[in-house]
Amino acid sequence: MTGNVLRLVIVDDHAMVRSGVRAELSADPGIEVVAEAGDVDGGVAIVHTARPDVVLLDVHLPGGTVRPGGSEVLQRCADLLGAEPADGGPPVRFLALSVSDAAEDVIAVIRAGARGYVTKTISGPDLASAVHRVAEGDAVFSPRLAGFVLDAFGTGAGEVAAVEDELDRLSQREREVMRLIARGYAYKEVARELFISVKTVETHVSAVLRKLQLSSRYELTRWAADRRLL
Amino acid sequence: MAPVAVRPALPARPALPARPPLVRPAEGRIVGGVAVGLAAHLGLSVKVVRALLVVTTFFGGAGLMLYLWLWALAPASEHVPLPESRADGVLNASPASVAGPQSRGAVVPRRPGVPRVSQARLGDMLIGAILLFAGLSLAGARFGWDVRPGLILPVVVVIGGAVLAYSQLDEVERGRWAQRSGVQTRAAVLRVVGGFVLVLVGVLLVVVRSTDLAYAGRVFVAVVAVLGGAGLVLAPWALRLWRDLDTERSARVREAERADIAAHLHDSVLQTLALIQRGAADPAQVTRLARAQERDLREWLYGPRPDDDATLAAEVRGVMAEVEDRLGVAVDVVVVGDRRLDDRGVALVAALREACVNAVRHAGAPVTVYVESGPDGVEAFVRDRGPGFDPDAVPADRLGVRESIVGRMQRHRGTATIRSLAGEGTEVRLEIPDESPVDPSPPSPGPSSGPSSGSSSGELPGQPAQAHRPVLQREETR
Repeated sequence: MTGNVLRLVIVDDHAMVRSGVRAELSADPGIEVVAEAGDVDGGVAIVHTARPDVVLLDVHLPGGTVRPGGSEVLQRCADLLGAEPADGGPPVRFLALSVSDAAEDVIAVIRAGARGYVTKTISGPDLASAVHRVAEGDAVFSPRLAGFVLDAFGTGAGEVAAVEDELDRLSQREREVMRLIARGYAYKEVARELFISVKTVETHVSAVLRKLQLSSRYELTRWAADRRLL
Repeated sequence: MAPVAVRPALPARPALPARPPLVRPAEGRIVGGVAVGLAAHLGLSVKVVRALLVVTTFFGGAGLMLYLWLWALAPASEHVPLPESRADGVLNASPASVAGPQSRGAVVPRRPGVPRVSQARLGDMLIGAILLFAGLSLAGARFGWDVRPGLILPVVVVIGGAVLAYSQLDEVERGRWAQRSGVQTRAAVLRVVGGFVLVLVGVLLVVVRSTDLAYAGRVFVAVVAVLGGAGLVLAPWALRLWRDLDTERSARVREAERADIAAHLHDSVLQTLALIQRGAADPAQVTRLARAQERDLREWLYGPRPDDDATLAAEVRGVMAEVEDRLGVAVDVVVVGDRRLDDRGVALVAALREACVNAVRHAGAPVTVYVESGPDGVEAFVRDRGPGFDPDAVPADRLGVRESIVGRMQRHRGTATIRSLAGEGTEVRLEIPDESPVDPSPPSPGPSSGPSSGSSSGELPGQPAQAHRPVLQREETR
């Protein structure tokens, strides 16, 4: 991160969405939109040249060969995703922003490396706080993404991991956190509800994100395979 | 049957480079238009064709047979076909112009038809005609044309029957361009049946007359040849008819799909855009319209097909969409798991709807709805961010909460719990536990008790009735 102001790149094929997001985030002095791109190739190039802290990434983008386009941008920016990118700069975090309701598209982008998913109907202040959260390395789960996760890990069917580290199932606590997020609870409300700290909630959410990205659970694998992510 | 005229009625057509289809034009015909059509098709003078037909008629009736055969098989047309412009003036020929010179219109009713005779079919027809003539001449050589005039009758009957049947098939083919009605179809069936009956009678007459077995055998061969020829002509014809119908049907399906899309876009997107333009001054209205349209369009594009409508998830989404539309507030709906929709599921959705309407009315956006169907029941939550309310303070005449939510859940052996968290909104929890658990494990403080215990402990000690009152049943009872 350079200084206190967070540098943001918006990758979305709709100019109206880009200008709308830009206008909404301009209310937050801690965020500066440094560049925009409208397709896969432009997105990959701009992320590499601008080296922002956070990329707001549309799930569906024109260009490229992998569907959804957002996951291809992530794949081609994989060198910047790690904690310590090869070129020595700070890592770039991606937050998916989409109107798409299709679970497989959202999961595909998450598995490709995005740190969270919010819908375009999100309010300006909520989006700004989500951007900050992602920049700090946390995961951002909207109620919808939490619902996808619960579905994908079969928690609706009562599958709960006995061991915390199991990749293919959620632990009891993670499931509780996901359920509360799906019910519309903010992180701090989840924390109060479960008598844990917000930091612990964030830890659980990050753990779920990790499982979402690494799990070989059948549903997730199938989704990813369909999108040629594996 | 039909006397062939020798008099030329038209100047001879010049020989044409590309062969026009064989049709029977109404224009310039004397009897059936066969000679004119044949002349145009072969590029010969009409005079020559007519003369040939007449002359060959005296050799075993060949000309007459050919004439009748072509009359039966060649489609009628309005004009003499031109080689370059097949459909020119034919497609749009008005029925009024059909009343041309028709001497024997009763045999084949004239209707403007498109001459659609492929070369392949003409070839088949030719083979059929040759076989037919082979059969006829075989029979003729056996009995002699002049000696046994009694045989002419059955032959004429056979030919007449065939002509009738074939003319009817011609009719059927052309009927596809015209409107088809039940009466027409019945008449068509009658005629085809009548034609076949006539053919059978003719064959029987022949067989009965020739008492000699050897003769009968030869006649049988002749009849088989005739029928074989007829079949040869008929088979590709029927095949094409069937194929045409098939092509037409799939084209119609595609057309219907296109029309469907156009109609949907018109009814939804265009109408909404018009409304948005009109109501541009009212942002709330515009937002509501746009939101409803977006959801509608997305549902239409990516949504599940209507045949799996009878699931809980689909029902929840549908009802919530309706609430959104009616009240103009965005409702975030998350559904996890799914199950078949039964009576209790319907009741749950109805209660959920009421709770959602309440939340929107009293608290406004954002409202979050979460429905989870698990192995031992369905749980639903409606969360809002309003100021909260005291269920006990609701007037007795307001049936919303008491009847529509709590009472309904009670009647269906479920529970409804309302938590009002001061400053953090209200959450309504609806639950319908499964009664005959497929899962042998009894409902224990297992998976679903986590958030429940959490929510009950969220109560403010000392004033439970004020801040949040479990209306029907405390969650700890699970």
